[in-house]
Amino acid sequence: MSSILSLLILVPLLGSGVTFALSSLGGGRKNASYLAAAFACATLLVAGYAFWSVYSGTPALGQYALTEDHPWITLPGFGVDILLGLDGLSAPLVLVSGIAAVLSILSSRTLIDKNEPAYYSLLLLVLASVMGAFTSLNLVVFYLFWELTLIPMFFLIGVWGGDRRKYAALKFIIFTFAGSAVMLLGFLALYFGASPSTFDIPNLVGRIPAGLQYLPLLAVFVGLAVELPVFPFHSWQPDAYEQAPAPVNALLSGILPKFAGYAVIRIALGLFPQAAYQYAWAFIIVAVFSMFYGAVVALLQSDLKRMFAYTSISHMGFVLFGAFATVLSGNPLGIEGAILLMFTHALAVGALFTLSGFVQNQSGTRKIPLLGGMGQRAPLTAALLAVSSCAAMGIPPFASFLAELMVISGGVSAYASTAVTVLVPVITGGYFLWMLKRVIIDPSPPAADPGTAARDISRVDATVVALYLVPLVLLTVFSFLILSPAAPVAQWTANLILRGLHP
Amino acid sequence: MADYILFAVAALSAAALGVPFLQYLGKRGNFPGYLLMVALSVALASIILNAATGSTSSSPFGSLLTSDFLGNLFAILTLFVSLFVATASLTLIPSGKSSNSPFYYSLLSFAALGMLLISYSADLLMLFVAWELMSIPTYALAGFQKGREESNEAAVKYAVLGALSSAIILYAISLTYGLTGTTSIAGAAASLGSQLSNPVAGLAVLLFIVGFGFKMSIVPFHMWAPDAYEGAPTPIAALFAAGTKKAGFVAAIRVVLAISTVYSLTPQGGLFTIPNVLAVLALATMTLGNLAALTQKSVTRLLAYSSIAQAGYILIGFVIYSYGQGNPAFASQAEIGMTGALFHIINHSVMKGAAFLGAGLVILKLGSGSVEAFSGLGRRMPMTAFAMAVSFLALAGVPPLSGFWSKLLLFTSVLNTPYAWLAVAGVLNSALSMGYYGWVIKRMYLDEPEGEATRVGEPTSFVLLLGVLVALMIAFGLFPGPAISFARDAVPALAGH
Repeated sequence: MSSILSLLILVPLLGSGVTFALSSLGGGRKNASYLAAAFACATLLVAGYAFWSVYSGTPALGQYALTEDHPWITLPGFGVDILLGLDGLSAPLVLVSGIAAVLSILSSRTLIDKNEPAYYSLLLLVLASVMGAFTSLNLVVFYLFWELTLIPMFFLIGVWGGDRRKYAALKFIIFTFAGSAVMLLGFLALYFGASPSTFDIPNLVGRIPAGLQYLPLLAVFVGLAVELPVFPFHSWQPDAYEQAPAPVNALLSGILPKFAGYAVIRIALGLFPQAAYQYAWAFIIVAVFSMFYGAVVALLQSDLKRMFAYTSISHMGFVLFGAFATVLSGNPLGIEGAILLMFTHALAVGALFTLSGFVQNQSGTRKIPLLGGMGQRAPLTAALLAVSSCAAMGIPPFASFLAELMVISGGVSAYASTAVTVLVPVITGGYFLWMLKRVIIDPSPPAADPGTAARDISRVDATVVALYLVPLVLLTVFSFLILSPAAPVAQWTANLILRGLHP
Repeated sequence: MADYILFAVAALSAAALGVPFLQYLGKRGNFPGYLLMVALSVALASIILNAATGSTSSSPFGSLLTSDFLGNLFAILTLFVSLFVATASLTLIPSGKSSNSPFYYSLLSFAALGMLLISYSADLLMLFVAWELMSIPTYALAGFQKGREESNEAAVKYAVLGALSSAIILYAISLTYGLTGTTSIAGAAASLGSQLSNPVAGLAVLLFIVGFGFKMSIVPFHMWAPDAYEGAPTPIAALFAAGTKKAGFVAAIRVVLAISTVYSLTPQGGLFTIPNVLAVLALATMTLGNLAALTQKSVTRLLAYSSIAQAGYILIGFVIYSYGQGNPAFASQAEIGMTGALFHIINHSVMKGAAFLGAGLVILKLGSGSVEAFSGLGRRMPMTAFAMAVSFLALAGVPPLSGFWSKLLLFTSVLNTPYAWLAVAGVLNSALSMGYYGWVIKRMYLDEPEGEATRVGEPTSFVLLLGVLVALMIAFGLFPGPAISFARDAVPALAGH
């Protein structure tokens, strides 16, 4: 039994404590960022090793690599184990979380100038919980880590956020807590329903009677729908994404929605295959509607961050769409595309939101109509914005293109009529290009303050943003790095549903 | 074999009777408090020994008391609560030369003795005497701050309704004796359970639920609680929420839940059964408690309503246990549910204790318990704010804090039973409760202080006390195993097992 996955959780957790203790006790407050970056890098190294273990020795269908089992509560009649494991679904997410955390901390150095020790400590606490959620194979432990991200996130938004941060933070915590509480209900219903009673996902697979799948699936879906988010559970999201400090968005907008995407595949499909199959049409309708809704509403936004937030709704709709397309068609392409899309979306959105923070710093605003003339005023920022937008739009050579293509192809093999979703990337391309035109090409608005217009993004910060994009380009060529471990998971899930239908 | 319970009773009696003489010896101030703390520690230690040795001796009380795990759990809990209430009173209750502090600590000691005896009661008359021994001193304690109008109002309201509930319990006892010819709780419960088609027996059970329901502050018998909690000195509010309320629960477990029945309380049968009655009360209690808490402007009132809501969660375990009494197929759910209820009772005492004591310090230092006083508290009183934030999160059921696990057990136990809707209600209520817990946390940490923003001193001893409670919430959250198995040992055996 290895302890790599424990390390993955404990390193950032330790980092959180050490960063807070050392930098509050003494030492410059700026040192907190170096300390946090060191711990995040160490976490990324562990994550990289864990990912490589899964990639190089892809576990057999339905199996996990690097499993650990630490009994936590063992009582007659009730047990909870901290069961950890990694497969082709979670490994890419663990890796991208590591990357996003390092880059988030690096970009915080310029963008955060208040109470740094607490800030970095909370950021590492989020990272530890994220790693815990992606690696735990016990429903209660998964819920626990999921919840554990919410409290530090509440403070990160509420203390370091924008003007309406308090409102956004409270709305965030109430919505996500309510959603996840309903999801927990779905988990708890399984305990006495399955025989033997357990919360371990591997032992629950295939053991839940079809009759007990419907209500728990509904409950779990409510939790996912809030976190993903999909219409009409999304109202907290544009506020939270807009008000959060830009570096935190890399985790809040880049990684947290992936909990839901991950749980759709691992839990909704893995544990409730019959119910998922029966109602796949409904989930596909929700997903497609969300994709269009996010794209159309994004078109109407005048604030950069709100626009990116709605883009996110649209993209997370793709993940839901891909997953349920596989349910209906038995074609693993949908899930493979969804896994790749989760990876690429995390990085593209991380780059965009981080940039929005620098734009705010330079121009004092994120309102698209007031940002005109950036091409001349801050050419480096403008260039980065253009390139990041391409990554989000899914334009080659960024791997987002490949992911969206796979999801749509998977969808078409389920329902030919869903080919209409090719319009979503078209709309997305449209509003991003329109935004770029207004921000970069259009002349400065007459009221713009020339004093703030002089600064451009520093080379160091530009490098940080560029680092988000490098893996996306590389992945176009080396997409097998994600797809080859993802394939068995997708195949296994597809088989599970087929087996559920013809036992 | 040493008789530990007798020893504990003796220690508390000595304190209760001896401390008032200090008034005439001129030892006012904090000295009586220290003396009571010693007595409570001695009593607590002997009860812990009683539990550790598994002693079942209750001589010379004979069949009046029973020394079992359930009694041990509640005795340890109520003594621990009394101990932290006494400790906090040293800071929160003014103890100048002219104070009546000896009487205060003597009354507290009487109440602790009452709670101790209720925990072990095996006879209805013993239970009633102990009940009054606990209740009457608390009426005086609620009005202890004679100069404050709210305190007087609280005391009167609490005393009138408390006396009413005592009368109801006494009526139920007399009906029970008339029907069964015994005052032994076990005998009476068995006999009542066999004649539940008799409407008088049904009435007796209902009256027990109503009478105990007052102390448990379950809706609709909760009206006194918010006024009493707000008006009473805050350590006494902590005693109500964390201590006397729990005595109501143990009385209900011993009497009402011991009645094994699937039969209806009415002769015709049907839906009017004990678990169904409790289920409706549970739903009403958690829902109204949480909804009312959302609208409060005073933190002590908010905590009072939150305490009502928490009683609703605890009742979920009672419902499934009572249901399991009559349905052996649900025995494992009944045991998990009761384990969850007992664990939540322990957790609630710690969580609500910390919250009330924190609020008490804020009221003492800032002179106001309204939510405005809590703005920016994270900077003004960091330790108190932290303790209150942790206890709020634990009350909301955020993992990995103690409240999460007990709620998890409670909700798990009723899913896959006819009472699954209670778990749905419980989860939705937990989500709702984040509305006011999160709101106060936002006030403390995100808002700017109103008026002056100076750092306010927090007494070290008080901070240590809060630290102990916070440590318990975190420890029970991270290592819930021992506490859950302690609660599980205390679950009374189901009939027919």
